[in-house]
Amino acid sequence: MSNPIDKLSAIALPGLIETDYQTRGYHYCLEATADNILPVVQTFDDEGFYLEDLTCVDREKQLELVYFFFHYDRHKRFKVVVALDPAQPSVPSVSGIYSSAYFLEREVCEFFGVFFAGHKNLTYLFLHDAIDYYPLRKDYPLRKERVAVSAAEKARLNSFAVTESDDSFFVNMGPQHPSTHGVLRIIIKMDGEYILEAEPVLGYLHRMHEKMGENRTYQQFLPNTGRMDYLGAISFNLGYVTAVEKMLGIAPPPRAEHIRIITTELNRIASHLLWVGAYLADLGALTPFLFVFDDREQILDILEAVTGSRLTYCYFRFGGMPDDVDETFAEKTKRFIDRMHNERFSMYEKLITGNPIFISRTKNVGVVTRESARKHGVTGPVLRSCGLPFDMRRVEPYSLYERFNFDIPVGGGNGALDMYRIRIREMEMSLRIIEQALAAMPAGPVMAEKVPKKIKPPAGDIYHTVESPRGELGVYIVSDETDRPYRMHWRVPSYFNLMTFPESARGILLADAVAVLGSLDLVIPEIDR
Amino acid sequence: MGEGSIHLEKEIIPVKFAALEKLLDLARANSLWPMTFGLACCAIEMMSCAMSRFDLDRFGAGVFRATPRQADLMIVTGTVTKKMAPVLLTLYEQMPSPKWVIAMGNCAISGGPFVFEDQYNIVEGVDLLIPVDVYVPGCPPRPEGLLEGVLKLEEKITGSRRFPAAEVNW
Amino acid sequence: MEIITEFFPVLVFAIVAIIFTLAPIAIAYLIAPRTKGEKTHRIYECGIEPFGSAWIRYSAPYYIYALIFIAFDVDILFLFPAALAYTRGGNIYEFYSLLVFIALLGLAIIYAWGKGVFTWKRKLSQ
Repeated sequence: MSNPIDKLSAIALPGLIETDYQTRGYHYCLEATADNILPVVQTFDDEGFYLEDLTCVDREKQLELVYFFFHYDRHKRFKVVVALDPAQPSVPSVSGIYSSAYFLEREVCEFFGVFFAGHKNLTYLFLHDAIDYYPLRKDYPLRKERVAVSAAEKARLNSFAVTESDDSFFVNMGPQHPSTHGVLRIIIKMDGEYILEAEPVLGYLHRMHEKMGENRTYQQFLPNTGRMDYLGAISFNLGYVTAVEKMLGIAPPPRAEHIRIITTELNRIASHLLWVGAYLADLGALTPFLFVFDDREQILDILEAVTGSRLTYCYFRFGGMPDDVDETFAEKTKRFIDRMHNERFSMYEKLITGNPIFISRTKNVGVVTRESARKHGVTGPVLRSCGLPFDMRRVEPYSLYERFNFDIPVGGGNGALDMYRIRIREMEMSLRIIEQALAAMPAGPVMAEKVPKKIKPPAGDIYHTVESPRGELGVYIVSDETDRPYRMHWRVPSYFNLMTFPESARGILLADAVAVLGSLDLVIPEIDR
Repeated sequence: MGEGSIHLEKEIIPVKFAALEKLLDLARANSLWPMTFGLACCAIEMMSCAMSRFDLDRFGAGVFRATPRQADLMIVTGTVTKKMAPVLLTLYEQMPSPKWVIAMGNCAISGGPFVFEDQYNIVEGVDLLIPVDVYVPGCPPRPEGLLEGVLKLEEKITGSRRFPAAEVNW
Repeated sequence: MEIITEFFPVLVFAIVAIIFTLAPIAIAYLIAPRTKGEKTHRIYECGIEPFGSAWIRYSAPYYIYALIFIAFDVDILFLFPAALAYTRGGNIYEFYSLLVFIALLGLAIIYAWGKGVFTWKRKLSQ
């Protein structure tokens, strides 16, 4: 195996340094310039890395473009920084090398004003033309005036147009649609029943979480984490809280870690159950929807008793938990596990898994190849359906996951059917983890000692990942030693999973497109943040 | 509200008398057909409300229609962003009269937790766009809250409440 | 005269059918409140203005589906009087002739099935 570091050093980059992985979350950091970014990114592509994230930080004197690369097998993270002049920020586009950059660069362009030369379609993705400044720049109120979007920029950003051609017509799978699981709009160009092109339009639920991250203290931001992905809210809580704890160097007590793991896994089961119900409702089977909500209500009862909310949890605190759980929690959870194992899984097997209509509608539909997954930065059950056992709980263990014994279910490349089977197996694995955690839960405090009242992490940045029910969630926090984050960015799994849709949808029937879209398990508020 | 975009002509009804109106109001209140307008987190609670435990169908309001042409109740569940606002208006106008709106969740009532100084993308409350009949607060409200909202709407339509109100025993 | 008395129920049936379809429209016109907004009469497409022209050449399979439907609809039409007449006789010969009739119609389905009308042909990639 060749060493990418040698190759990168050969491109004569001055700033390749090794960083402290424990506090930073990435292994190597290097600086590039707009001139040599393309060969650098090409090196990463040749070595088999995937573009984990592409974002920007406004450092007043310069705009810092940040790329993160990660490898499925080597598990090493590289951070590449490009410093740009804020008056004329321009950099070559890497969307020719990595397909995920096509969307990521559009986002950075509309939020920061960075121009990506060579990008085919640098138009609005999340925003719209009623906003005539760059929202995530620090111009206002720091510098007391907003840098306006110039008229030429606006014209270019607004220039998205669909190309009409003979014998094809456009269908809007619009924002209000029962099968898009939220407010996603897809413009589909069709020829008869076949899809020629599918273009997603995002931003119908852009709720400014990243801007709020800069305006809120670390504690005040906790409720936002639950609203980003409302189905896997506890994993988002967990990602945020563990990232800040890493920055501060606080270790929560073991009892708190066990409770965190149990509630996270319960939430994962609830999320997958809802996916099963909603996916089958999309395919036309309305019965499982009712059954999964019954199981979900059992989980929600357990979680409501300890967290206080049914859906958008804000349960974890920096250093542990706000309150301890009592014995009824363990009893109810055990009863739930028994019920799932004895009755419910076999019922789902009989109802769904062997159904010939379900199999013929999902087998070999929406197959994502390994190479396509790498180019799009896909993670989660969608990636595992290609046969790659890549799960952040194993790859970068956080909390106490190393102590627990569970398998990573993988698929054989059968598309949506594999994704369904993987999610059912993941629910069983989550039950296994919960059983082990309940058995091993020690007594003790649930809050670490000496947690500061005002959270002021030391200056620097951190990139922390957890496994949400949809895939790899990355939290990138830049701190400047005040009690508010300087910049917060969320790398959300559904965004990257959605990026495979335009490719998967080409040339298939419209009914299959609904099956493909459902199998990706998208939650739109986390994409739109 | 915007000028000239919504306008209801109620006066030209040829046949209208009190007993008929009472009968029609009773019929309309007990068979509200909601439109699936789930935007964000509150949509999951609306789905829970329609499922077996909380069962919105017992009150006649369980037939969720995706198309506005066949719906008469729009439950706005979730945050309305500025990009979504014209879509919401279009769908509201495409619903036939008589129609009602329930604003479910804090975001639909007044912008919710996403209102901060300098916010640039959300509409602070759906009643800035369309007339709202019932507000159901919460983030998200419990399904029982939505049930109470539907019952309150029935009370608003018919003038009297058919099911007893929940007793508060503090 | 006999003809009229024999077909009088058909006339009643036709008139009641027409009333049944027109009455709800009339009642709704009389008692429903009316709404008119800018977008009320636009085509529904998930809340977005539809774009692109609808006057295009549609795919041939849609046409073939429609044809097959019409053909079998007419066949069902023929079966109605056959069903009525069937109860009046007592001859086993009638049963066999009806079977032959249905088998001939079935041949048309098998032909269409074999020709691949019931599956959308995958287009060659362009």
